[in-house]
Amino acid sequence: MTVTPGWYMTLAAVLFAIGLLGILVRRNALIMFMCVELMLNAVNLTFVAAGRALGLIDGQVSVFFVLVVAAAEVVIGLAIIVAVFRQRSSASVDELSGLSG
Amino acid sequence: MMTLAQLGSDVSWMAIAPELVLALGAALVLLIDVQFKPKTGGSLAWTTGFVLAAAFGFALAQWLRLADIPISERFPFGRMVIVDGTGLLARFVLLVVTGLAVATGWRLFERLGRRRAEALALILLSAAGFQLMAVSVHLVMMFMGLEVGSIALYVLAGITRERADSDEAAMKYFLLGSVASAVFIYGVALTFAGTGSLNILEQNQFLTQNILLAPGVLLVGLALCIIGLTFKVSAAPFHAWAPDVYQGAPAGLVGYMAAAAKVGAFIALWRLVDLGFPTMRASWAPVVAGIAALSMVVGAVLAAVQSDVRRMLAYSGVAHAGFILTGLLSGIDGIRGVWFYLAVYTLQLVGAFGVVAAVTGASTSRSAISDFAGLGRRQPVLAVVFSTLLLGMAGLPLTSGFIAKFGVFQDAWQAGFEWLVIVAVLASVIAFFFYLRVIVTMFMEEPSGDDHASVGVVARWVLALVAIVTVVLGILPAPLLELAGDAVAR
Repeated sequence: MTVTPGWYMTLAAVLFAIGLLGILVRRNALIMFMCVELMLNAVNLTFVAAGRALGLIDGQVSVFFVLVVAAAEVVIGLAIIVAVFRQRSSASVDELSGLSG
Repeated sequence: MMTLAQLGSDVSWMAIAPELVLALGAALVLLIDVQFKPKTGGSLAWTTGFVLAAAFGFALAQWLRLADIPISERFPFGRMVIVDGTGLLARFVLLVVTGLAVATGWRLFERLGRRRAEALALILLSAAGFQLMAVSVHLVMMFMGLEVGSIALYVLAGITRERADSDEAAMKYFLLGSVASAVFIYGVALTFAGTGSLNILEQNQFLTQNILLAPGVLLVGLALCIIGLTFKVSAAPFHAWAPDVYQGAPAGLVGYMAAAAKVGAFIALWRLVDLGFPTMRASWAPVVAGIAALSMVVGAVLAAVQSDVRRMLAYSGVAHAGFILTGLLSGIDGIRGVWFYLAVYTLQLVGAFGVVAAVTGASTSRSAISDFAGLGRRQPVLAVVFSTLLLGMAGLPLTSGFIAKFGVFQDAWQAGFEWLVIVAVLASVIAFFFYLRVIVTMFMEEPSGDDHASVGVVARWVLALVAIVTVVLGILPAPLLELAGDAVAR
């Protein structure tokens, strides 16, 4: 059996679903953040697999853009998490209940 | 296959001049701050104003010679960017909204101290991002614009980081926003897999020339793209972040945050569904109509039970997102109504948050409706301005909000979404109730407690101007409507 790009896209879909599920069930901001990264990497895998299957370079090139965006999100996200941690000594999103109504 | 030389000839700096000016302006603001360490914000305010005016000038210059630009020069940068009236109108709205937000929220920038340069630079950068989003016809390019805009907004939400509420707002916005971005880009990847192109126009070409036997991947991709973008405009059921972020973020910035993301994402959504996937209309139209109906009902009902003005405005924003989505359903010509609605609503939104910031303080996070009690006596100008803006949002005849609502409802009715228009009218009736409640509180109730309301001279004039524009556009909407009609034609 050969591993076709379709398998990679299926794997990517599974990874994306795991990431999304993690966002929904985990309560630690850092873990949730890692789940977002997992989703973005699933996107990268989809891009590469689709680009390979279609014989287009666009898929591989798009990955660079997604990577850069993910890096920028890490910078901002960790800064926000650190700021929250300093205020509350906890990175659990359950602590974030000051705003409601 | 395009060679490098051909790519080079394709570069048209004029096409993205407003965005370049904004990005360079952001760098300039930071450099001025580092070099001269100004004690007050005056020089930075002037710089920001100048940058916005220059960007507006470039957009205007392009608008005036738009009819002369041949079709071959309409898609520079390897067909990533489109030069058209809609993109230019989106830029006009975004630049005006940015200027108004900085002017009305200036109290906040004064209080931010040395951090004000960062805040101004971030605002300029995010405006550049959302503008790029509105002029891109390439999905990865659209994603980049979305992210440049959104990431700056995450920081702005938490810029008063000493306040726990501000942190909380930033964290919620960031986590949910980055999930939405991931969903959007996954949708992009799947549409790429389905059509073999990332360019919206090429995708449309592919879909008109081929009959898809198994469009499953493509449909999932399109759905994910729509979900990602409707999240950014805070349409139900993806609105959960909006009330918390609007309440926790510094009041002087919320108006900008809400308005800019809406303009960028709605224009992008229009380009995606009406330029890229008109052939799959039967698949996406019911989904968009469902999101619109849910947004209108959820927004109007939940806004009615809020006791905090900012949360109320957030939920009313959800309802407005539903109204604008109604306009998107009427095909490619619907952009006229959508643009008009976006223009008048974002103006009212920035004005309304300007008033909230003046009444409850630019960096606080509590703005109970009871704080507005007796405002008619304490600050008559502010109270009248706020009433006008709220009535405009409610869509009272003789305000711009009425013309905007009428426009999108008419378009949707003609497109065959009669049931949606009926839902929309009912939601508008509910909406009247909660807008009127604030107005009654301002004029009928006695002031309670201390009076913190204070507003600068510039902010007062700007707010008054926004209110006047709201009324004038309600009585004489023709010029702006013609402008929007022109944009579609070009």
